[in-house]
Amino acid sequence: MLNSIRPKNRVIFAYLLIPVAIYVFAVFVPLVTAGYYSFFEWQGGPNKSFIGIENFKTLMNDEIFWMSFQHNIFLVVACIIGQIGLALLFVLMINSRLVKFKSIHRTFGFFPSTIAAVAIGFIWTMVFDYRRGILNWILELIGQQEHTKVWLNEPDLVMLLIAIPLIWQFIGYFMIILLSAISSIDKSIIEVSEIDGANAIQRAIYIIIPLIKNTLLVCVTLCVAGNMKAFDHIFVMTTGGPGNASMVMALYGYKVSFMQQNMGYGSAISIGIFVLSLLVIGVFQLGTKLLSSDKEVV
Amino acid sequence: MKTIQTKLLAIFLNVTLGIFSLSCIFPLVWMFYSSLKQKRDFNANIMGLPKNPSFENYVRILTNADYRIFESVLNSIRTTVLSIVLIIFLGFIVGYILSRVRFRGNRILYVMFLMGLLIPIHSLLVPIYVVFRATNLGNKWFTLIIPYVAFGLPIAIFLVEGYVKSIPVSLEEAANIDGSSFTSTLFRIILPICKPILVTIGIIQTFATWNEFSFALVLIRDQRLQTVPLAMTQFTGQFSSDYTKIMAAMLITMSPIIVFYFVFSKQIIKGMVAGAIKG
Repeated sequence: MLNSIRPKNRVIFAYLLIPVAIYVFAVFVPLVTAGYYSFFEWQGGPNKSFIGIENFKTLMNDEIFWMSFQHNIFLVVACIIGQIGLALLFVLMINSRLVKFKSIHRTFGFFPSTIAAVAIGFIWTMVFDYRRGILNWILELIGQQEHTKVWLNEPDLVMLLIAIPLIWQFIGYFMIILLSAISSIDKSIIEVSEIDGANAIQRAIYIIIPLIKNTLLVCVTLCVAGNMKAFDHIFVMTTGGPGNASMVMALYGYKVSFMQQNMGYGSAISIGIFVLSLLVIGVFQLGTKLLSSDKEVV
Repeated sequence: MKTIQTKLLAIFLNVTLGIFSLSCIFPLVWMFYSSLKQKRDFNANIMGLPKNPSFENYVRILTNADYRIFESVLNSIRTTVLSIVLIIFLGFIVGYILSRVRFRGNRILYVMFLMGLLIPIHSLLVPIYVVFRATNLGNKWFTLIIPYVAFGLPIAIFLVEGYVKSIPVSLEEAANIDGSSFTSTLFRIILPICKPILVTIGIIQTFATWNEFSFALVLIRDQRLQTVPLAMTQFTGQFSSDYTKIMAAMLITMSPIIVFYFVFSKQIIKGMVAGAIKG
């Protein structure tokens, strides 16, 4: 830009002041605050006592916290496989000439991802409900009464059941992203492969998937970031229960801080969540970078 | 032989996708016709269509001011609209300045906002409560707008920044020669050009803001200030497990965003995808 049209410094300052202030206040100030209070024993009241790194020592040995972390990772993996996997499968199907009502599939499929996770949580609580649940209703309909149960009270099943609504909600979202990637592929490439006699499955594996690899990696990144912050629908469906069988990190931090009034330790957990989430996202980003760069060489 | 195979394949593909699409829309349909039932009717058969459909649940919810349904919808609309306007307006200004104006600190600000895309904001849940309580900004009508704008700004800034780069600088130079000031060039020339990307930002952030739950949960205590997702979590308790009534309440509070989606679904789908890929 020419220097003659560059605005004066105070004009720039005036324009930037409010957005930067809001941003710093809501993002960086809380981070620093969490760092500060994590060194204190603090119930949220006027009294607090400095205890050094005691909170972090507790955190390192806190089985519930590490279990929550594992649950987050479980959700990430389940959603990468379930969401992106199913989305890819559906997208390959939708691209077939044999499929009708494509725009309806798009509009309906995308719909759940626009609904509040709280509402999704409620809907799926109704699916798994014991007396009035859809799942038990279906089991009774097909004469399998003995298999009906209070689904969300099963510690071994609960994580899987929690993952289903999460996967289901965003399949449509990833479908749309992948569809737009596929539609940007040069049609002639696919036509030539058809002439050469490649069937639909070969086309998918050898042509379409390699060509949309970078978009797939973007989807993985979105999936990771989305699931490290799982909170809303678990809060509604189980609040982390039974016991802590479906606890995730953000929910655990919330419970320690607001239910047990342990704000000092809650701050330490927040720092733990911050570091671990950043680490996991970083590792996945690095992985996707490596995978996507070797494509450019080819 | 070939045609039978193709036919079977066509049936398989259409049925599979049909089931998926149906599963996406069925909960809404089910909630709607169930909300027209009475409790006893629903408990007798959860899937059956209502025998005597009536809007009694709706009437009872809407006429009882204690439930604060209208208030929570209004709170959500106000919070969402104000947040979106601020995100678009501030994001546009910052994005433009970071892209075009050279000044000391430009890169620092750029990196700072870039970090906003990486910072796992859910780790701020507890500390943000501490900060808002200490500064006495919690539990006010405007409380939620602050974090929503802050969390929405980074993505807005980067979408604008990338978009402005594609606009030729000669446009601004010409405006300058014609005597247009920085501010008037910004709003009268650049702003209209950026409209498509600003619409995209608006769409992404509308859903993010409208549906946001966890920060509302920790920052809002007063029932009169609650947003829709917060109100939803209370229906189960308020209506003592009267499921048909809960569903009616859910649908009432969801209606603005459902209407918004089905009216603008094409643009919304396009906008969300554009935002996701560039972000």
